[in-house]
Amino acid sequence: MSDGQIVVRGLTKQFRTVRAVDDLSFTVAPGRVTGFLGPNGAGKTTTLRMILGLVRPTSGTATIGGQVYSDLAEPLRTVGAVLEASSFHRGRTGRNHLLVLCDAAGLPARRADEVLDLVGLAAAARRKVRGYSLGMKQRLGIAAALLGDPRVLILDEPANGLDPEGIRWMREVLRGYAQRGRTVLVSSHLLAEVQHLADDVVIIAAGRLVRQGAVAELTGEIAARRVRVRTPDPDRLLAALNGASAQRGEADLIHVTGLDTPAVFRAAVAAGIELHELTHEHADLEHVFLELTSGGAEIR
Amino acid sequence: MIRLLRSEFRKIATTNIWWAFLLAVLGFTALTFAINALQAHSYLHQPPLQLPANIPPDQAAQIRADYQARGTLVVQAANLYTSGQYFGLLFVLLLGILVVTNEYFHQTATTTFLATPRRTMVIAGKLSVMVLAAVGLCLATTVLCVIAGAIFLSAEGASLALGEWAVTRALLLNLLAYAIWAVFGVGFGTLIRNQLAAVIVAIALYLVGSSIASAIIQLIAIVTHAIWLTKLTVAVPSVASQVMITGADLPGNPPQWLGAAVLIGYGVVAGGIGTLLTQRRDIG
Repeated sequence: MSDGQIVVRGLTKQFRTVRAVDDLSFTVAPGRVTGFLGPNGAGKTTTLRMILGLVRPTSGTATIGGQVYSDLAEPLRTVGAVLEASSFHRGRTGRNHLLVLCDAAGLPARRADEVLDLVGLAAAARRKVRGYSLGMKQRLGIAAALLGDPRVLILDEPANGLDPEGIRWMREVLRGYAQRGRTVLVSSHLLAEVQHLADDVVIIAAGRLVRQGAVAELTGEIAARRVRVRTPDPDRLLAALNGASAQRGEADLIHVTGLDTPAVFRAAVAAGIELHELTHEHADLEHVFLELTSGGAEIR
Repeated sequence: MIRLLRSEFRKIATTNIWWAFLLAVLGFTALTFAINALQAHSYLHQPPLQLPANIPPDQAAQIRADYQARGTLVVQAANLYTSGQYFGLLFVLLLGILVVTNEYFHQTATTTFLATPRRTMVIAGKLSVMVLAAVGLCLATTVLCVIAGAIFLSAEGASLALGEWAVTRALLLNLLAYAIWAVFGVGFGTLIRNQLAAVIVAIALYLVGSSIASAIIQLIAIVTHAIWLTKLTVAVPSVASQVMITGADLPGNPPQWLGAAVLIGYGVVAGGIGTLLTQRRDIG
């Protein structure tokens, strides 16, 4: 099902003095949630806007299901997008905002009420956006994206302004979408959020691709084997672990790389060293991210 | 295209903008109608012209012709029936500007262009809806002015002059002026995306710019002794608009069609440049 596949090839955007996106290529598969990660100013928003035909690439292409966005016959029924937090006329009601889009996409007014129900805004539907909280605006943005029941969802920092309950709700919506075989691309700087949500990640820094892969694969790779040990006798333990690479942390803490927990335990027991803690360290996406983007993460 | 028109129409209909503008236009129309009625009353009862003897004969003839022209019923009736035009056109210009700049001000341009990625279509939709809105505003004021004017003229004991071609022509040109200024407004809004800047520049150009431009042109004409240059004042949009709609041809003025041609020229140029810019711009 290459139907909702997003393909970015050699995408480049040169603003006056800054190369915001630099020869970027990646693909986003349907049926999975893909996190789009990068430090601030990495070019995430510019990339998403180029995919959506809002920003003109200097060179390169971005296609959705094989078509450039502006060539899509029914854009809102193909792609739903949530970009900035508030792109609403403050004096218009939430429902009327959606009806304007329904008109443009040739969708029945019924769809506006359905998505308002879906995002939990039905009660505020006839109120002006002026009175909406940030979280409500974010929900309205998501409602607009879902309006055409699209095959592809593209969201730029959708968790901004949502409370924890809202974030959990959104996570479920996006996971449900991917499970129905659709494409979901979510940019975020909240790494923990993406780790819980995404199957794949695309990591960029300074406008360039750093890594693309499955979350499990990337975290597994970096995690390798890291063990955290506390002992009142760190010097003796370091000696007992000779050969393994180990680092002294603060006070009684040691980080061991290249050995698993049983190996460290056996070494300690053999040398008669008392242990206060022995844990396998899970590398989270944050480690991966920092490790991969260091050097490319300077503010531009 | 029908979808787009409905969408653009709903954008205007679902904010306060339409009734704010309607009220403003009706208010100014009522005001100018009152002033025009007072003026018409004095012109229709004007005494014969007394000119001092030292005026050169050709100039005197022109003043006399002008004086008589203003005193005719047709000119006054046309003026009454198109009351409020000066401010009506300004408001249409502003509405056209807001319809475009609102999209950037409220960042709705993003959703608009996501729904309709062909930006030329979006501009075309806005132009069409604005022309319709301008025609609507014009019809609303015209109907009210014709009713009030007819009552006034019968009270003056004058004929209504509604069948006169000059009056019909003034009404039609009024309609055309509204439509062209709407196009002009949309073009202007696409040229200057910053809402506040666009509105201020437009008001300044409309109210003051024309007098300054005509003053400069006339000054050049006097200094260079090239009187024909004064005819160039018609190149200033609001002067062209006035020339185009001056009820009947007053002697000494450039022809109406020239005013219309200049104004249409400006509308096409503004809309064309605005569309080109909108196509190339990055939205974000």
